[in-house]
This record gives sequence, C-alpha cells and structure tokens, in this order.
Amino acid sequence: MIKSNVQHDSTIQQEIVKMGQEKTEPQTRKNRGKIKISEFQIFAEKTGVYLIALLLIIIGGIYSDQFLTAENFLNITRNAALLGIVVAGASFVTYVGHYADLSIPAIIPLSGIVSVTLLPYGIYVAIIGGILAGTLIGVMNGYVVGYLKANPILWTLAVAFFMEGLMRFAMSNNQIYPDSSPGTSGESFVALYRSSFLGIPIYVIAMFLMIIASAYIYKKTRFGKEVKLVGSSYDVAEGSGINTRKTVFYSFLFTAFSASVAGIFITSFNKTGVYYLGQGYDFQAVTAIVLGGMTLSGGRGNIIGVLGGVFVIGLLANLMTFIGIHPFQQNIVIGTIFIFVVGLNQYQLRKMGRDHG
Amino acid sequence: MKPLQDRVDCDVHNPVLQMNQVSKRYPGMLAVDSVSLDIIAGEVHALLGENGAGKSTLMKMLAGSFNDYTGEIYIEGKKVNLHTPSMAKENGIAMIYQELSLAAPLSIADNILVGRLPKKMGFLIDSKKLQSETQKCLAKVGLDLDIHKPVSQLSPHEAQLVEIAKALGNNPRILVMDEPTSSLSHKEVERLFTIIEDLKKQGLAIIYISHHLPEIFRIADRVSVMRDGVKVFTSTIGEVTNEKLVQGMVGKKIDAFYHRKTQKQREVRFKVNGLNRYGFFKDISFEARKGEILGVAGLAGSGRTEIMRAISGIDPIDKGNLELDGKKFKPVSLQASMDLGICYLTEDRKKQGLFLRLDIKENILSTLIKRHTKGIIYSSHIGEKIPDSMIKKLEIMPSDESAQVSNLSGGNQQKILLAKCLAIEPKLLILDEPTRGVDIGAKQLIHETIIELARETGTTILLISGDLPELVHLSDRCIVIKDGQLIHEMKKEELNEEDILLRANGE
Repeated sequence: MIKSNVQHDSTIQQEIVKMGQEKTEPQTRKNRGKIKISEFQIFAEKTGVYLIALLLIIIGGIYSDQFLTAENFLNITRNAALLGIVVAGASFVTYVGHYADLSIPAIIPLSGIVSVTLLPYGIYVAIIGGILAGTLIGVMNGYVVGYLKANPILWTLAVAFFMEGLMRFAMSNNQIYPDSSPGTSGESFVALYRSSFLGIPIYVIAMFLMIIASAYIYKKTRFGKEVKLVGSSYDVAEGSGINTRKTVFYSFLFTAFSASVAGIFITSFNKTGVYYLGQGYDFQAVTAIVLGGMTLSGGRGNIIGVLGGVFVIGLLANLMTFIGIHPFQQNIVIGTIFIFVVGLNQYQLRKMGRDHG
Repeated sequence: MKPLQDRVDCDVHNPVLQMNQVSKRYPGMLAVDSVSLDIIAGEVHALLGENGAGKSTLMKMLAGSFNDYTGEIYIEGKKVNLHTPSMAKENGIAMIYQELSLAAPLSIADNILVGRLPKKMGFLIDSKKLQSETQKCLAKVGLDLDIHKPVSQLSPHEAQLVEIAKALGNNPRILVMDEPTSSLSHKEVERLFTIIEDLKKQGLAIIYISHHLPEIFRIADRVSVMRDGVKVFTSTIGEVTNEKLVQGMVGKKIDAFYHRKTQKQREVRFKVNGLNRYGFFKDISFEARKGEILGVAGLAGSGRTEIMRAISGIDPIDKGNLELDGKKFKPVSLQASMDLGICYLTEDRKKQGLFLRLDIKENILSTLIKRHTKGIIYSSHIGEKIPDSMIKKLEIMPSDESAQVSNLSGGNQQKILLAKCLAIEPKLLILDEPTRGVDIGAKQLIHETIIELARETGTTILLISGDLPELVHLSDRCIVIKDGQLIHEMKKEELNEEDILLRANGE
C-alpha cells in the first residue's frame, strides 16, 4: 500500500516542482486528517479486559462442569467484591498520575479495629468511626503527597510500615474480637458481611454502588475532569489554572475512604480486628487497575475497565483454586500477569507516539 | 526551477549522501513522502520548511531513529541501512540537535568521549590519552577549556561548541545541525559560522536546518525546501530569493504587510505600581490601556519573564500594587488570577502549555473547567461549541477536535495554546514568546488574531518577544527591561528594531 502511495505522490512532487510552487495543497494534507488513535485501539482498550474474563470463563467451563454454576459465579463475585470496593477509590491515585497508594493494607485493618473498639457506642457510631479513622490516613497522605510533594510510593510505604507497628503496639500484638452475643451491636457488626438484600450480599451491593459513584465522579464532576488533566500532565494542569494539589489531595482521600469501607466488611467477615487483614490488597488493587487499562503514568483508562480487571483477578483466583494451585503459587501467577501487563502498557504508549511528542 | 544537474560541477555526480525516494509513516500520517536528496561533500546544504514539513523526521531518519522507513539511502555510492543510531554513526553521520544532548553534571571530557573512553589495563581510564583526545576534539571547534569542567558550568555557546566537538569525535562525513543558532547571541552566531566554514573546507558535508532566512543566505551553498512531507525544490543559493524560499515553504504568496489602524486612546485597564521581587526585579511601574498591545522587550535573563510570571500569580511578589479595571488585586495564584480574567501564555508549550496526550478539544476546554461547573457537576454541553469555533478561527489543522495534540506540528500546537487562552476571554492576556519556533503561515495568523483580539474585544495584551520584527510590528508601545528594571518606554512611532536592541543592551 505504501508503495503505490510513493509512486502517486512522487508524480505530484514533480508536478509541484514544475508548476513553480503554485500548488498549495499537496496530497499529503489528506493524510493529516487521520491523526487519531485508531478505533480498534480504543475498542481494545475498553473491552480487552472483558475478553480476557470471557476467555477465563470458557477455560473454566472446559476444565470443570462445577465452574459454570450460579453458585460459583456468586462465589467469584463475592471474592472480587471487596477488591472492587478498594479500587473504586484507589484508581483515583493511579489516574491522577501518582502510581499507587501502598498504605491500603494499613487503612483496611485500622478502620476495622477502630470500628470494633467503638462497638459499645452502637453499630452506627462504630461504622462511621471506623471509616473516619481510615479516611484520616488519606487526609494525611493527601496533604503530604499533594501539598508537600512527597514521593507517593515511598510515603505511603512508610505510612503502611508505621501504621502496622502502631496497631500492633496499641493492641499489644493481640487481636480484637467483637462481642457477638445476641442483641449487641457486635452481633449486627458480624452480621454485616453475612446479610443480603434480595439474595445479593450487602457488600456486593456496596461494591456496585461505589463503582457507580466512582464512574459518576470520573465522568460528570469537575473533580473528575481535573483528575484527568492532572494525570495527563501535572505541570500543564497547573498552568491551566487547575488546583493540582487539591486534586491530588482528594485522590488520596477517596482511596482511603474506599479502603476503610472495605475494611469494615473484611473485619466483619473475619470477626476479628487485627493488623494483617489488609495484606495483599495494595498489590491486587494495582494489578486490577493496570489490567483494567489504566496506565501507571496517569490520565488514561476508566473505572469500568478497572472493574473488569477486578473480575479477571477474581476469576483467576477461583480458577486456580479449582485446578488446585496453592495460594502461594497463585501469587506467582498474579505477579507474572502484573509484570506482563505493565510491559504491554509501556509498549502501547510508545506505539501511540507518546515518545514522538 | 532548473534542476541542479544541468549546471553542475563534477562533485554533484558523486554525492556523499544520496537519499532516494525515502518515506516515513507515523500512525495515521505520512511525515516524509518519497523525498530524494543529494548532499555533496564540502557543502552547507540548508534544509528549509515550516514546522511539520517533515525536515526533522527526515533528519531523524538519517540519525537512525527509525527502522521502518522506506526508500534507499546511499553513502559514497554504497547502499546503507540506517535502522539504529549506531548504524548511522558507523556510516559517518553525526547530529547536533536543537536541544543539547550533553549530560550536564559530567565533565567536558566525559561528554565528548562518552562510549569510547581511552582505557589502560582493560578497565582503568587512561587520563593522559583522555586529555589529549579531548583537546584534539576541542581544537577543531576552536575551544580551549579545562576538560574537567562540568558541562553545567558552560555558557550556552560553549556547550553548543562542545556538542559539535562531540559530534566531530567520530570523524563524521555528514554533519546535521538542527537550528544551531536558536540559543546564541549575535556574536556567538558569527563565531559558529566561522567554524562551519572551516569544517566545510575540511570536506565535511553539512546539513543545516534553520528558520532564519538571512542565516541561510549567509552560510548555505545549496538549499532544499520541504512542505507537507514533500521536497518542493533544491537550488543553489545564488538562484533563489527570500520571497521564493518563503513561497516554497508556505505554498502561497505571503502578504508581508498587514495594515495597522492607529488606535484611539481608551481607558486604562491595568496598572502596575512599584512592583518588587527581591533578586529578580525592582520598582516596576507601568500601565496599559484597553485594547492596547504593550510590548515588553529585554534580553533573555533581563527579568521580563519573571515580571510577567509574578503578575499572573505564578511567582510571589514582595512589594507593590496591581490594579485591574480600577480594582486593586493581589496575585496569589494562577487560578485566582485567571478568575479575574488574567491569562498567561507560557513560552514552554511542551512542558507547561499543552496536554500532549489529550485531544484538541480537551486542551482547549482545560482552562474552562471551573467556569463550566455548577456545584460539583461539570456540564460538558456549555462549552461544546468552543473548540470547533476556535479550530475554525485559528485554522487549526487537522480540523478534527478529537485529534491527539502530540501528533500535530509546532505551529498548530501553538495555535491550540493560544486557543486555550482565548477561551477564557481574558481582560489581560500575557503572551510569552507566542510565535517561537512557529512557521511563517501560523505566525501570520497568530499575529492577526492578537491584533483582532486587542481591537475588537478590547483585551489588553502584554507581549514578550525576542523576535524584534514581531515586537515592532505588533506593539502600540514598548517597555524595555534590563537587569530587572524598567529602563525605557517607547511610543509606537519611535519603535524600531535597532533602538530596542541598543536599549536592551543598555547603550
């Protein structure tokens, strides 16, 4: 195709030379109109992760007839839902170009422990108190990273380390159990994870509500628009009159809020408040986010894709359990996927001509 | 145009470099379209074209940046593949880019001999040889410097020469220089030209890319003009005129003169009184009227940019008053200033001006997010028509508002940057080098837009520009900044390039 073009345009070139530069519109103008990311790429970006999910479902179906049952799908959704709640907020940090919030594994148990501690004051005080405590970590992260410009990875890593120590110290390395004797608020707290509405577990409903809220924030609000611009280029956003620090601040706040909500459910499920309940959620969240098409450099992707990433991770874990792969080995698989996806991501960005910019 | 081959001397039949029908396609766009070009040893061959004409891509091809170009390249009659930078190097091609490629913290010697440091015993650096090799390279460009000095301590001119010395280190046969004079003063340009003459005599072929037509007439032997990825013509320098080159680049006749109606005096819009920022500028006072274009002249580093950044709220102010439409204000942040109707167009469009990965629409609307928000909800329909009207008004190509900005030419990018500022309908618009590195067609359109903006909407414009003809042409009045102080004010009828330059130099 290029070949025919070459011949075609070379005649035009000669013509221009002959005509003494009178011709104003060489043929190449026509090509200029198409400087767009191709439709296919956009399609692949939006739906690719769902295709992977479909592929996993097919593989699962072939492997075992137990896989394609309603019960197993509820199982998968259940396992994925808590991660879904986390990424509803955590994706903002990635989208705003600050990679990831590594303090999520500390925020989750903090919210749970505070909540259990507050149970004597009633279930509502306990839940709100727990979420507030976790969100406060987000306020701190947002202030230090957004306003004082600390490195997001190092800072949140340090916070996770510090908070783990603090929780262990405060609890004298013990666990805390809600008093779940009948009629107490402890009973309702433990029941929280186990109750459902119209047959759907409450935390699954919570996940969908939070993902919808998140999608709404991305699409329709001023904050959503600004997050995209700041994620695309921090300096340019600043030069366009956007309050970049505030945008980063709220991104960390949202992350901590959704991790805190997840923390309540996770603690309710375990009937225990203890420092290690959040382990692994940081890395799983980033993997789901990147798998869902958000680039670590920020400003690209969408929450619906990320939700797909969450389901792929849930499906994969389920499938591996079916096949009988040990949880440790499962980590190897998830880690491999992460490495692969980040590499692919970088390749795509280069292909899209970012390095010609 | 008579082709060169008709009146040749023998050299032309033995070009050191021959490009035969080479093409390079970017995703969705043919950047270089079957170009054929011959370069002869011992000539300076100027390559001209507007931004986006394809010259940089053509040169990147020579440098081995692409492995997917089509067509043939011959060096001294031998067909070569230039698929990687090292292949280009082996074939004797050296590049000097607009932005220097030196590692600032390293020493001159380390920079020049990077990748081929002389060694002894296999791993120790042979410092004697290092000294002599580096000095040999520096001598070629007439420099005598301490080779252990870090590059960060050199002047722009010295750094440029070190860059050339580095390129010459590999004994190239072809040297490509991309806008080598853009950061140099008049005197330094002259020195550079002497060196180029010298290299020419040594039999080097030099491809010289520049926007400055006078420079090309000074230095070039032959000139090739490109437009829209196609080579328009090649000619010896004696056979072309200024006008012909411009015509070849632009593709249409340029109206060099545009008429300026004299302005009736309108009310004062913007007042600056005793503005200070310690260490940067001192006691700056001036006023500007509605619909006035106030030129701000000064050499680079005079403090002119710092003053404008302070006015727009980017940098802090230590002392002084600012008044807009009779109301005093304090510039606390860029956002606050933009709310008041003050807009600053940055000189660095790639780092601070445009979201390169986003499309035209998102870029143009990026300054309007706050204005189009009700409560916390952004209503996208309010500004729906703005990008399209800007694209039409500024003749942005492509006219598709969903085209990604990084793929556009410099001129079109600059127009989008201007559109971003126009979108907020500013009362006071500060333009910092609004046409730097922009082709002639885009430049003219930007000029027209600026004039129209001032005349018709009464926007007050502060114009910083190092391009003196531009400053003289656009300004109604001009203030001159030197060493952080306002040293002179010139009326419209007093404006001329020589005077501005003399004043800015403090004479």
